[in-house]
Amino acid sequence: MADAAPAILVRRLSKAFGRRAVLRHIDWQVAAGQAVVVTGANGSGKTTLLACLASLLRPTSGEVFWFGHPAAGDPAARRLVGMVAHEQRLYPHLTLQENLVFAARMYGVAGPHRRAEQLLESAGLARYAQRTPPTLSQGMRQRAAVLRALVHDPPILLLDEPFAGLDADGVEWLVGRLQELRALGGTLCLVLHDETLARRLADMVVQLRDGYIESRGLVSGPRLAGLARAA
Amino acid sequence: MASLEMTARLWWILWKDLVSECRARRAWPAMLLLGIVVAFTFAGQMDLPPDEQKRVAGGLVWLAIFLAGMLALERSFASERENGCWQGLRLCPVSSHAVYLAKLAVNVVALAALQGVLIPLFVVLSGVPLLAHPAAMLLVAALGNVALAAAGTLLGALTAGSRNTAHLLPLLLLPMAVPAVLAAAEATRLAMDGQFGAPWRQWTELLAAFAVLFTTIGIMLFDFVIEE
Amino acid sequence: MHARSGSLRRRCRSIGHAAVVAMLLVALAAAFLVAPTERTMGDAQRIVYLHVADAWVGLAGALVMAAAGAAYLVRRNLRWDHWAQAAAELGWLGATLTLVTGSLWAHAAWNVWWTWDPRLTTALILWALYSGCLLLRGGVDDPHRRARLGAVLAIAGAADLPLVVMATRWFRGMHPAAPAMEPSMRAVLLASVLGFTALFALLLVLRRHQLELQRLVEELTESEKEMPC
Repeated sequence: MADAAPAILVRRLSKAFGRRAVLRHIDWQVAAGQAVVVTGANGSGKTTLLACLASLLRPTSGEVFWFGHPAAGDPAARRLVGMVAHEQRLYPHLTLQENLVFAARMYGVAGPHRRAEQLLESAGLARYAQRTPPTLSQGMRQRAAVLRALVHDPPILLLDEPFAGLDADGVEWLVGRLQELRALGGTLCLVLHDETLARRLADMVVQLRDGYIESRGLVSGPRLAGLARAA
Repeated sequence: MASLEMTARLWWILWKDLVSECRARRAWPAMLLLGIVVAFTFAGQMDLPPDEQKRVAGGLVWLAIFLAGMLALERSFASERENGCWQGLRLCPVSSHAVYLAKLAVNVVALAALQGVLIPLFVVLSGVPLLAHPAAMLLVAALGNVALAAAGTLLGALTAGSRNTAHLLPLLLLPMAVPAVLAAAEATRLAMDGQFGAPWRQWTELLAAFAVLFTTIGIMLFDFVIEE
Repeated sequence: MHARSGSLRRRCRSIGHAAVVAMLLVALAAAFLVAPTERTMGDAQRIVYLHVADAWVGLAGALVMAAAGAAYLVRRNLRWDHWAQAAAELGWLGATLTLVTGSLWAHAAWNVWWTWDPRLTTALILWALYSGCLLLRGGVDDPHRRARLGAVLAIAGAADLPLVVMATRWFRGMHPAAPAMEPSMRAVLLASVLGFTALFALLLVLRRHQLELQRLVEELTESEKEMPC
């Protein structure tokens, strides 16, 4: 078991924008099947870290690996990762159905239409399949964004504040999906502010400060620094 | 097979862009409108004896295609920037070559639509026999199209990255595209007169060389342009 | 030992500077004093010695910029970009002077301020490419991004140049036949090109050094800001 490649391996990762260093020499591993919450103050580098993990940003130095495959290598390896972020990444002039079918095609998913229907059903959005994102509420768009990230069943899911814009139903739905994913052995890495949700979803927490990892620990500890208690 | 997959993905990105543009109706109508206005303006200047007209028509029609086509070229990457769709595309297991070729294809279609309107319009407005030898004209139009699209797609991606540089596309593209515009203009002029000797071949080959060169450069350097 | 190697380097540098200045003086002297006066144009013809040298500098700048750009893309070391930036600035200067001297020559020879002579047209396009390059660089703040985009543009531009030369040459049919140059004039031309190339090389090295120091200062200032009080 110790020989299995970790789901995410980060080696001496640094990222600077111009002269501003945002991430400094991060060494980190996430084992397969684990769920980690990344916390930290604004500007500590959480979003940048997640973007580097997703291979959206090229590290200034250091490397990221997914199950042993270099993130900066063959684009085919990107199938291992899905990401949910602040922006919903939905094409405004395509319907929800078309957005999901397009994403499915890009990931080489067989039967893209069936998959899109399936996903929309599971999120209660089947009714809105022929609507375009700008005509839908923020909550529905956010759900659709999550579906888009899940279209290819990625073993690693990166989420940057995925609960923003979701109503109570939406939150429960997403929590359910993520717990399902974990039950199937998926690896999660989330940036969250809500402590209760963090405890429900993750088993580890990592705190960033000024681009360094300040502390790592179990979520089941007494208090998670950097997270707000739910109101 | 890898290249079959890539071709399929290329096709779907092209489809996505064409459908989006048809529904959004933002860049192409503006491009066609600008083309028509420029065509009228140029045709107005061409109230000359037929020999003189033929001499300048080639250059003017290609200048019109270039100026109006710029609108479509500018938009080809700007449209992805909304809603973070560009990041969504970069997350996909698609090589940057495929993305470049797809964007190139979209621009080729846009320029073809523009040419389809402008060339007949020039003929109608000024009576210049641009379509005297349609097969040759089609060849020149196709090559010129790919040439401009290849350079424009690369430079469009280059300038689309930040707000400060977005307006630089025309300034960068015009000097870079001079060989293509000149070659297309001269080949058009010779084709109109039915002179298909060595000069025509030379100009057509130069145009083809430009198209091939910039497509190759685009494929090779696109990775560096879109990296962050 | 350290002090001695330092002073040795300084001595080499002063010799280098002196050599460049000497070559330049020789070139200028040759152009203005030694070269025989041309028959039809008189002394005004001497502009050609500056014009050709400037054109060569303009071209050299483009090649250096493209090569340095390629090196940056491979190595990702900003040092290469400093060479590229310096080459861009000096090349732009060379291209501008080419246009100015070309215009003066045209006026002296044919009484027009501009002619669509293929070489002058190529110089104009080169000037426009340089200007675009400098504007692009000026519009990007992040040094690595600037280096990357600048490199891509420089490589595309350099690849484009041969096509530009061909297109402009074929467009005009043939350029006005330049009167055959006497051997002595050719020698002066060579001296002029060498002298200006030496000057270009010197300025390139100096400007790059300046950019390097600038970046060092910026880095130090940034790291100072981040140090805990």
